[in-house]
Amino acid sequence: MNIFCLGINHRSAPIDVREKLWFSANEIPTILSFYKEKYFKETVLVSTCNRTELYYVQHNTELSGEPLWKILAQQKGAELFFQENHFYSISSLNVVKHIFGVASGIDSMVLGDVQILNQMKEAFALAVENQTAGFLLNRLFTAAFHVGKRARAETEIAEGAVSVSYAAAELASKIFEDLSNHTALLIGAGETGELTAKHLAGRNLGNLIITNRTRKRAEDLAGKLGGRVADFENLQAELSHVDIVISSVEAPSYILSAGDIRQAMKARGNKPLFVIDIGLPRNIDPESNTIDNVFLHDMDALNQIISINLAHRNAEVPKIQQIILDELTRFKNWHDSLEVIPTIQQLRDRFESIRSSEVEKHRHHFAADKYEELEILTKRIVNKILHTPMANLKNGTPEHSETETRNKIHTLRHLFGLEKKD
Amino acid sequence: MRLYLQIFEILLPFFYFSTIWVYAKIFFRSNKLAERLAPYFLYATLLSHACYIIIRTLEYSHPPITTIFEILSLIAFAVIFSYSYIEIRTRSKMTGYFILMLPFFFQTISSIFIKELTVIPPILRSYLLGFHVTSALLGYAAITISGVYGFLYLMLYHDIKSSHFSVIYKRLPNLEILEGMSFTATVLGFILLTIAIIVGLIWMPQAVEKFSYADPKLIGTIAIWIVYAIGLAAKKIIGWQGRRIMVLSLIGFAVTMFSMTIINMFFSGFHKFY
Repeated sequence: MNIFCLGINHRSAPIDVREKLWFSANEIPTILSFYKEKYFKETVLVSTCNRTELYYVQHNTELSGEPLWKILAQQKGAELFFQENHFYSISSLNVVKHIFGVASGIDSMVLGDVQILNQMKEAFALAVENQTAGFLLNRLFTAAFHVGKRARAETEIAEGAVSVSYAAAELASKIFEDLSNHTALLIGAGETGELTAKHLAGRNLGNLIITNRTRKRAEDLAGKLGGRVADFENLQAELSHVDIVISSVEAPSYILSAGDIRQAMKARGNKPLFVIDIGLPRNIDPESNTIDNVFLHDMDALNQIISINLAHRNAEVPKIQQIILDELTRFKNWHDSLEVIPTIQQLRDRFESIRSSEVEKHRHHFAADKYEELEILTKRIVNKILHTPMANLKNGTPEHSETETRNKIHTLRHLFGLEKKD
Repeated sequence: MRLYLQIFEILLPFFYFSTIWVYAKIFFRSNKLAERLAPYFLYATLLSHACYIIIRTLEYSHPPITTIFEILSLIAFAVIFSYSYIEIRTRSKMTGYFILMLPFFFQTISSIFIKELTVIPPILRSYLLGFHVTSALLGYAAITISGVYGFLYLMLYHDIKSSHFSVIYKRLPNLEILEGMSFTATVLGFILLTIAIIVGLIWMPQAVEKFSYADPKLIGTIAIWIVYAIGLAAKKIIGWQGRRIMVLSLIGFAVTMFSMTIINMFFSGFHKFY
């Protein structure tokens, strides 16, 4: 199978090496055209923060000259940073198996990562746009997308939160049915807090209030995420009308005591309050969790959710491997069935050579005008003999056509001694 | 006909058991095949139970409300019927395992102890009685369902609060939904029970010679009614939410179970006809 892949990923190289080989969507078209023109019949370049992979189909000639990884590194002007062992180079069915693994998420740094499939689709779209993806890579990527889709539909490989911010949002939706009726208070303008607020907003959060010691930063964040800014000194007053509190400030002691929370609960009619404390050291008195209808969670709890979810995803891997195996077989059958055209051609050539040599041998028995008739007649006989078997071979059978055609080809090649391909 | 009844009495607990088994597969293993099969199991059980009740009614020429075991079977039917409705509405199959335990339990007891009827007191042939009993039974079924949702709420509440993220956390719907389901069932149960009590109080003193306000079942039912009245008032007037109201719902459920089983078995009164 004339398919190859040269790549670098989180397993083969550290991040400081990987990041040197990251190609943006603006750079990729130039690279693709360069390779198509100089080296390959078809090519697609996938580049994400964890991997850069060049899929290609070679012309009939072997590549010579500088190794491919060096050429790829040269594109970034960074060949000195790389060593050969940063790269993996795979071919044939191993490429198919590899790309299926990537698309299903089992090859990702975070097992079951959902983004990779979209990134692959974008990479493939770029190659189609630049006319560097041809017949074979088209089929390969389409099959890979199908594997990715099956993995998500038939297994739970992408289920459950595997980041702190996402785990916090998931926890919120285990307490509240519809976040659009609820208000969240973000204390502090740190990155994890911001991401958590973003995830909550993605689940239709009703209102967001942001407060920070430095008001300017809170205002910047409110501009980005939407929502209103509150004074940090007014924290207690704000507590009485919010349902979710996300706190991530650097403070030497608790910014909210159990008494503060108890008072707030009274003011808000004891409605459930979800408090996420992602500050280190912790921002909120852990004692608050003993209050009725208060759900206080810190980093430990969120990390626990993550590790449970990761273990669950891990348990799904064998199911994915089965899907990959199924699709790999299908792909191989399809690829084998491609041999039908060259086989037909070879068989025709074989018959034609027998016919012409026999006619040639007996040429002297015929007058020139009769000889021409003989040519036409024998050609017609050969064509008629070959017509039905060739038609049947091309069409296959409606069910399992690929497998059947492949078997027929093997038999045919064997019977007529065509096994050795040109 | 009696042979059919006996076959149903043996089969129904098995039907309930296999349905619970399918729902357990959904809850604990998130089995996709089980999810597809569940409706068939649920409706087959529901239909068989309906057939059983119809045949029994035809065979003895009166609704099956004359013994506690007939009543248990009827409550089991009311629960599976209400659950099927809830499942269609919420499109969640995650609570089936818990809810269906109850009809399984009720029907198994009923199937083991139920007897062929010989003499039926004439009073049990009244239509008003039918109305009284039907509303009481549907009320009990609603309260039972509300109790199970209350129980699930408290389990999930405890899981979330103690950061113990078990399968309960993973599979159950969120706290707000569970509280909502429990509350709807409670309101429904309360209304039905109120109707049953009013009809009973108007009609019984005229129909029953030995009528007494000190009847254990009457006292039990009024106790249930009072617990739920307090609960609903606490929610509406004081604004109780979450855990406390769910605990109250479970207390109501416990009182109901006590009234339905213990009082029926060990106390006598005019309510006992068999």
